[in-house]
Amino acid sequence: MLKIEKLQKSFKNQIILHNISFSVNEGEIALFLGSSGVGKSTLLRILTGLDPADSGSIYLDNELLDFHTINTTHAIGMVFQHFNLFEHLTVEQNITLPLERVLKYSAEQAQMIAHNLLKQYGLEDKKHVYAARLSGGQKQRLAIARAIAMKPRVMCLDEPTSALDPVLTSYVAQNIQHLADNGYIVLVATHDTALLQQLNCTIYLMSKGSIIEVAQSQNFKNDPHAYPLIKKFIAGHE
Amino acid sequence: MIIDFPLIVDSLPLLIQGAFVTLKIALGGCLIGIILGTALALLHTSHHALLQSLVTCYVIIIRGTPMLIQILCAFYVLPQLGLKLDTLSTAIIAIGLNSAAYISQIVKAGISSVGMGQREAAAALGLSKHDTIRFIILPQALRIALPALGNEFVTLVKDSSLASVIGVAELSKQGRFIISKTYDGITVFFALAILYLIITSTISLIVAQLEKRMSCDAQN
Repeated sequence: MLKIEKLQKSFKNQIILHNISFSVNEGEIALFLGSSGVGKSTLLRILTGLDPADSGSIYLDNELLDFHTINTTHAIGMVFQHFNLFEHLTVEQNITLPLERVLKYSAEQAQMIAHNLLKQYGLEDKKHVYAARLSGGQKQRLAIARAIAMKPRVMCLDEPTSALDPVLTSYVAQNIQHLADNGYIVLVATHDTALLQQLNCTIYLMSKGSIIEVAQSQNFKNDPHAYPLIKKFIAGHE
Repeated sequence: MIIDFPLIVDSLPLLIQGAFVTLKIALGGCLIGIILGTALALLHTSHHALLQSLVTCYVIIIRGTPMLIQILCAFYVLPQLGLKLDTLSTAIIAIGLNSAAYISQIVKAGISSVGMGQREAAAALGLSKHDTIRFIILPQALRIALPALGNEFVTLVKDSSLASVIGVAELSKQGRFIISKTYDGITVFFALAILYLIITSTISLIVAQLEKRMSCDAQN
């Protein structure tokens, strides 16, 4: 279980995250919903060790994680909004390089893992193609495959559908649900209301760095009036 | 006719010999320049104030003084420091040290052009800073810098003529030697210009091919 307690972050006297607490179990999806600048991405960046929090705690299976060394534990993987693939490397090398350099796998082991993942994500025939030449959907799948290769327990996806059309959004929703079904703890930051309607998740509505309303997606679908803030946010984005 | 073509043909062996020396100077200088220049660029982007200041001073001094003086300095100063080298090696070192200052700025610009997202992706995957520089940042920075590095190499070929002041028998020195015997400056300078043009055009073509091959957008 991933447990976040009283996470606080400010920048130049401006509060970015205020008293954020939540917990997510294996196989569950936590979806952080909110407009741009409410702190969703910052939350994921803290969890992946890219930015340290000012205070608060992150526990993974009751083990306290250090803000400054989270990324060296490889426990939390990240799929960036713009994918941030290594475009000068081939699809296969995007996966094998971290495996060889970070997890110290042999080239053969790394290639085997890459082969299996690329097959799983339908990119097998692209393995010798430079990442720069992939389409948006293919880049997204490669970004997920690259993160999964490091065997994280938690997968963070920052605005996973921002660069995609509605058809691909639906496809990405399936991929995210598939991650949860495979036992990953999945955290998604998005302002895309179409995505939440396709996921079985816990919705955390954020505003000005705080979580202002929480709902199970199924409960929200059954009774949207019980969650007025989420309902209002969705209405404003449709 | 103004140009004495039989003289050019007769002079070709000597000129080609000089052209090879010119290429040696340019290649050696460029190699030193790329290695040292890349190191300087990395130091300059290291966020270490003292190192940044030292690199800045080096670049200001080298770029602010003529290469001719730098070559003469190397010729007179290196032996004083106990480093007794032949004139060709001295010229290569002096030109390499000069080139490093310019190449450091080219590589630094290349490093700055690599998006922050690349560093963040590497950090999120747990890659060390060293591996991030080696496998992610530098390959992309050098690819971006390749056209400018090609121009620098072409410049070095032309600047190598300055090595003649310490007696290196490169292309222009050989040309002047032929002129001193034949008194036909126009023909010899014409031949020199053509040879320099052939060398620099070949380098430009090779760099263009390299750029094409290193492009991520190339068909593969």
